[in-house]
Amino acid sequence: MANTEAENPGDRGGPQLPKSPTGIVGFDEITGGGLPAGRPSLVCGPPGSGKSLFALQFLVNGVTLYGEPGVFLTFEQNRADVVADVSSLNFDLDRLEADGRLLVDALSLEHQAIDTGEFNLEALMVRLAWAVEKFGAKRVAIDNVEALFAAFSRPALVRSELQRLFRLLKDQGLTTVITGERGDGMLTRHGIEEYLSDCVVVLDDRVVQDVATRRLRVLKYRGSNHGRNEYPFLIGAQGLEVLPITSLGLNKQVSAERVSTGVPGLDDMLGGEGVFRGSGILVSGSSGTGKTTIGASFADAACKRGEVVLFFSFEESEAEIHRNMSSIGLDLTGWVDRGLLHFHCERPTTRGLEDHLAMMQQLIQEKAPTLVVIDPVSSLARGGSAFDVSAMLMRQVYYLKAASITAVMTVLTDESELAQSIINISSLVDTSLELVVLTALGERNRGLYVLKSRGTAHSNQIREFLLSDTGIEVVPVVIGAEGLLTGSARIAAESAERISAESMSLESEELARALEQRRETVDAHVATLRDDFVAEERLTQRLIAASEQRREALRLDRLAQGRRRTVRLPEDEP
Amino acid sequence: MTTPSEPQERERAPTLERLHLTLFVSGASATSARAVVRLRDLCDRHWPSDYDLEIVDIYQQPEVVFARGVLAVPTLIKELPLPVRVLIGDFTDESRLLTALGLPGARHD
Repeated sequence: MANTEAENPGDRGGPQLPKSPTGIVGFDEITGGGLPAGRPSLVCGPPGSGKSLFALQFLVNGVTLYGEPGVFLTFEQNRADVVADVSSLNFDLDRLEADGRLLVDALSLEHQAIDTGEFNLEALMVRLAWAVEKFGAKRVAIDNVEALFAAFSRPALVRSELQRLFRLLKDQGLTTVITGERGDGMLTRHGIEEYLSDCVVVLDDRVVQDVATRRLRVLKYRGSNHGRNEYPFLIGAQGLEVLPITSLGLNKQVSAERVSTGVPGLDDMLGGEGVFRGSGILVSGSSGTGKTTIGASFADAACKRGEVVLFFSFEESEAEIHRNMSSIGLDLTGWVDRGLLHFHCERPTTRGLEDHLAMMQQLIQEKAPTLVVIDPVSSLARGGSAFDVSAMLMRQVYYLKAASITAVMTVLTDESELAQSIINISSLVDTSLELVVLTALGERNRGLYVLKSRGTAHSNQIREFLLSDTGIEVVPVVIGAEGLLTGSARIAAESAERISAESMSLESEELARALEQRRETVDAHVATLRDDFVAEERLTQRLIAASEQRREALRLDRLAQGRRRTVRLPEDEP
Repeated sequence: MTTPSEPQERERAPTLERLHLTLFVSGASATSARAVVRLRDLCDRHWPSDYDLEIVDIYQQPEVVFARGVLAVPTLIKELPLPVRVLIGDFTDESRLLTALGLPGARHD
């Protein structure tokens, strides 16, 4: 039912037992489908490791996702506590009970009964059988079964009765989760794992340097393959979520839409359009290189587009960020007032890593942002081992990507060990920006380069990153004879260039002027020549006219002479 | 039957109230049968015809088992006089039963 095809550790090998999906994110993947159907499974771990939640989630999901009614028998808490504890996880036990699909049976074992002689726990079995029949239950959870050892001071009797109970559950084909508390050198305090050999799940809540990390391991699964690693898990808004590192699905939707970083020069470095929506951006750098500022400008740009932004700050308070950003011309208070920008500022030490991630996921679900800034993600990771940190962050990045939320995470690289662990997740981020300190000629300047940016053309240059009261600017650095020039050296180089350019323009102006003068001279000359020509032309035309007149006069003369001769002729020839 | 009174009053004078017991048994099992016999015998000796004993067969009335939070059989609940006492077992240990039922050791014969 919940089988997934790729990288499913439980799917290797031969015929598989029928399985009952738990609906717990990740768990069904590492077990190849869930708990063994119709059999009891043991879930054990120290107090507070999430055993009860595992059991309840198994039942609630059974009802809501798989249509299998369930009975929850608890010796640990009273009913009101059980309901209240999980109401924050959107488990509405009251409603499920009212619908007749789930029974929360809280049995108080506070008062130890007076033992007067031989007895057995037949009533417990009758009670359970009655409830199962009444609700048509297919799933049962008993939390924490070892409380019976405390309530009845006859361990041998309780042991044999539990054995009988487990057999009864199995005979009735009930998929059951039995929880037990971890004991010294044993999985459970009273060794009940001996009777629950089908499937054993161990939960752990280890504290490393004051930070708690939860882990889950399937110790045993008779007749089935299963993931054998220790998997980190967290308790988030959806309850228990196991992170099977090897089976992170990569089937998320990707967006080709580009969003601005808020820094024009930086957008230019990223192919002129910024980063992909829903991608992960890592901004790393040592202290004071402007990581928060980059994060804030991402936020500012998103708010300008009318989008909702969630800004997690683990080192500065909201007021500090407002003050610091307004000093470089970034006014974030307006966005807060308009309800677009939400800050969550908290000391990293207030909770464990896993808790932080859970809190963040909860806020993300509540505010539904399109951009999340985590500043800095490295302080969040303080205290965890490199493995824990990268596994948890991987989970977080994956979560954000799946939700198509653009994530900007800053990393303080001064803490080299942590930085290393975060670099492990850098394979999961799409764009990695590195802020560097460029020291030369007695100055410290900020530089920025794009370490990588998947799927986008990006500059290979280190550029200078300027913070002034007018805003952030990313300017190309000048490569001089001495190498990269930044700060005043860049300004000096730039002004030297400007001066030579100026002198060059002066020279050309002079040349132009000379040319102009020459042109005027030539023009004047041409005008004189033209005048001369016009005069000459006129004279010539006059001469031509005179010559024509003379020719005409000559012709007339000849005519007159001819006439005279004609008149005289008849007298000569009679 | 005594008239209902304030709990504080009841606790101060528990012996003034009539004994009310509920015994949960599992059908006709040997342990349960033994428990019934022993309890009846003891009550008849100490409170002749001055007690109420209700016997619940868990197989016949599972809903009562459910409502009362009973896990073991035999289970005896001393409902009245207050305080409520819960006993389990077949009453092999009679002195414990007597103490729980509020009988001073001096009256034990």
